[in-house]
Amino acid sequence: MTVTAAGPLLVAGIGELVATADREATLVAYGLGSCIGLAAWDPRTHAAALAHFMLPAGPAGGPPAKFVEGGFEALLERFAAIGGSVRRAEFKAAGGASMLSVMVGSLDIGRRNAEAVAARLATHGLLLAATDFGGSAGRTVQLSVADGRFHVKSVARSAVL
Amino acid sequence: MTVMPRVAAPELILAGVLATGLARAGEALAAMSGHEVTIASPDVVSCTPADVIESAGGPDCVVVGVYVGITGSLTGHALLLLPPHGARHLATILLEGILDPAPSLSAPDGSLELDPLEVSALQEVGNVTISACLNELGRFFPEPVHPTIPQAIVELAGAILDAVLLDLVAESDQLLAARTTFAINGETVDGTILILPDRRSLAALAGAVASVGS
Repeated sequence: MTVTAAGPLLVAGIGELVATADREATLVAYGLGSCIGLAAWDPRTHAAALAHFMLPAGPAGGPPAKFVEGGFEALLERFAAIGGSVRRAEFKAAGGASMLSVMVGSLDIGRRNAEAVAARLATHGLLLAATDFGGSAGRTVQLSVADGRFHVKSVARSAVL
Repeated sequence: MTVMPRVAAPELILAGVLATGLARAGEALAAMSGHEVTIASPDVVSCTPADVIESAGGPDCVVVGVYVGITGSLTGHALLLLPPHGARHLATILLEGILDPAPSLSAPDGSLELDPLEVSALQEVGNVTISACLNELGRFFPEPVHPTIPQAIVELAGAILDAVLLDLVAESDQLLAARTTFAINGETVDGTILILPDRRSLAALAGAVASVGS
């Protein structure tokens, strides 16, 4: 399941975001359950960014992409800082699964995370070009900076968005 | 692998409490299986979600997870995480004489497919070990601590853990986790048990444990 890449591999850990304009690079977020991996890619400048959001909203502090609220704006800032155009960008996202049917006090965080990402994009007049949300399987997502391909892998399947 | 910092007094008392529970769980599993089963005294550590995920082998590591919810005087989540081979080994021992020897794990995609009986056996392992810990923790409170029915899944460690951890970390990035290992007939199964009370329960537990320790 571990991603191997010929060029640099930038990993967005839980609550983190990564960005680069290196065309040889690959951005990856491993083991998304209820979390969301949101990718931004500019087809002209090849600027790319990937966030690993944990929750829709919460108090300030902690890692930069812990919450969609605030973390999304941090993603846009990092993306713009490396030459990405928000208006030109393709946004793709995956995750938001519901892993455990018997979980105590389940707040349906996966679904709420997916809704929060779409809503945050909408407030900026932006849309998701492709998504793979929900279900009960964990996912690893991988953004190829060279061509913007967004690979979504789970234990049982693999797809390219 | 991330080194988790050890924490002081109340957690050490808690480690002793959980060790008692896990010793009893080992006896129960030994009685069920007819094999020598021991569960090591746990390390109780204060850690971040990232630490917990790394300790399970990393976010992209496929593991067998058995989830048990915690209700009653304490609320939160508990997980037993086992590597696929270790899980099958445990299930095979528990099902000895009931199930034919397990088939090879060489599935084309490298994933593990568990027989429904194996799933049931592993859920029982999770139920026995985690319930034994909850019984011991319940001694600190006037009302008992209850486990939910267990659920076993084969998934990426990061995906299992982020589902469980997310509602615990909205207000704090620090968690309390207990980790241990199984030994069956002298062979170690490198698993992890996580007892994760929510913030309110953690405060109640710390108070109860401290009052006993003082």
